Amino acid sequence: MSQQIKEDLSQFIRELRSAKGSARIDLLGRFGLLIPALASSAVIVLILTFLWYESALIFASPEGGMGIIVNPTWNPNRDLYGIAIFIAGSFMCTILAIGIAVPLGMAGALFLSEFCPHRLRGPIRMVIEMMAAIPSIVYGLWAYLVVTPWIGSVLAPAFGVESNGLSLLAGGIILAIMLLPTIVTVSDDALQSVPRTLREASLALGATSTETARKVVMGAAMPGIGAAVVLSLGRAVGETMAVLMVTGNALQIPFSLFDPTYVMTSIITNQLGYAFVFPLWRSALFAVALVLLLMSISFTIMAKLFIRWGMKTRGLR
Amino acid sequence: MSYDYKIEVRDLSTWFGKKKILKEISCYFEDNSVTAVMGPSGCGKSTLLRSLNRLNDTIGSFRMSGEVLLEGENIYAPDSDVYDLRRRVGMVFQRPNPFPMSVRDNITYGPKLHGMKDIDELDNLAEQSLKKAALWDEVKDSLEDPAPNLSGGQQQRLCIARALAVDPPVLLMDEPVSSLDPISAGKIEELITELKKEYTIIMVTHNVQQAFRVSDQAAFLYLGELVEFDKTKRIAEAPSDDRTEAFITGRIG
Repeated sequence: MSQQIKEDLSQFIRELRSAKGSARIDLLGRFGLLIPALASSAVIVLILTFLWYESALIFASPEGGMGIIVNPTWNPNRDLYGIAIFIAGSFMCTILAIGIAVPLGMAGALFLSEFCPHRLRGPIRMVIEMMAAIPSIVYGLWAYLVVTPWIGSVLAPAFGVESNGLSLLAGGIILAIMLLPTIVTVSDDALQSVPRTLREASLALGATSTETARKVVMGAAMPGIGAAVVLSLGRAVGETMAVLMVTGNALQIPFSLFDPTYVMTSIITNQLGYAFVFPLWRSALFAVALVLLLMSISFTIMAKLFIRWGMKTRGLR
Repeated sequence: MSYDYKIEVRDLSTWFGKKKILKEISCYFEDNSVTAVMGPSGCGKSTLLRSLNRLNDTIGSFRMSGEVLLEGENIYAPDSDVYDLRRRVGMVFQRPNPFPMSVRDNITYGPKLHGMKDIDELDNLAEQSLKKAALWDEVKDSLEDPAPNLSGGQQQRLCIARALAVDPPVLLMDEPVSSLDPISAGKIEELITELKKEYTIIMVTHNVQQAFRVSDQAAFLYLGELVEFDKTKRIAEAPSDDRTEAFITGRIG
């Protein structure tokens, strides 16, 4: 590997010496562009290394170890640092949000791209794009004052459950709302880029526009729609403020949608201030961050693999 | 219902917005024949073809006047069922446009839409359609492979098979070989001659030699006007209009 790099580099220098004028500038330009490309991929490696370094203490100590990942007891006063509650909370919240947002967002995109009257399309898209610019704290406040009371006083009693509304469900709903603009706009772009001739082929066989949209256009737009889901997965796992405000932050694994939950981002935000002078506690929070990053990386990789498989079976590139 | 011609076009004019594309066209297409619609780019050949299965209707600014009779019934009548019309008038496009699905699913897409559910029946239909399109031998072992992985010529024959699968009496072809290599194009020309036995085929083409090789009758369109419409042989031997002669000798086009 390093031998290869050495050869490449010396070949580059030889070429640079023999090149003249514009050819030399071209070579320098190409080499120059390599640096930012490498730098941006180096950032993620650096962050991973940093998190690993900071959390090494808890993973190495007898109180912690790798076992904290599956241990559900978090009690820093007694040096118990199980982080399973937060992993489970984040996981459930993300899946719930994606489960709500993906079908809704795809339906919205399908309407915008295939059935929306031409004059309405522009304004609707503009409003949806504006939704993406709303700060998450604003979403959080709104959810805290509107969504959680509604869950507590209307939805939970309707299911015969007692709840103050601060719950896994509230977190899932607010996250889903925050993901919608990304899913709608990215999927809409993907649907719009499906060639007209594919739609015509379907119509010419006697399909209605609904059948065409559902069976042909959606299939052809699959990679783009998949990209929308990947983007929102990352956002969902990492979202902090809004979720922190509405999930109740109780140290338990939720057994129903109406139970409060505690997600990874929330525990870090809530306790980092106190934990800073206690090395083990602090290290445990960094361990949470490490797991969070690994989780969002693996979500992204899994989603990408899934899309690649989908594209291969459809013959898309 | 008795009718004189499979498809009869009476005084058809079409507009996109304010622009008049076809000007009072009248012609007819007989059972089991190939009609070539020739003319230079932008003369309205494709618009004429797409008027026959009402595919122009999907474009917002489209308007038309006149009548198109399919087996004696006006397809533009208010009570006419456009989905049934498009099942009866199949279409093959200029560039192969297979759906991003398997070869088999491409063929069974149409029949499934129209209510066929039985797996064996669908499999059998897929085989028959692919055989009619002279593609079966090449794809019979790879029916589950994605259709876009086939070669261009194979894709176009797949599109023909897909159109045939809903059993349309009429087949429209919009420059079906213009994007293909000569060998694939030759195969499709042969296929058209073969399909004529069962179907009424209307083919738009830019290529005069091809029109003369495969068609029984020919129409020559120029700037939206139907300049000449007759037996191909007659047009090839002695065009009755200067513009037709100029086109077939390559002076315009």
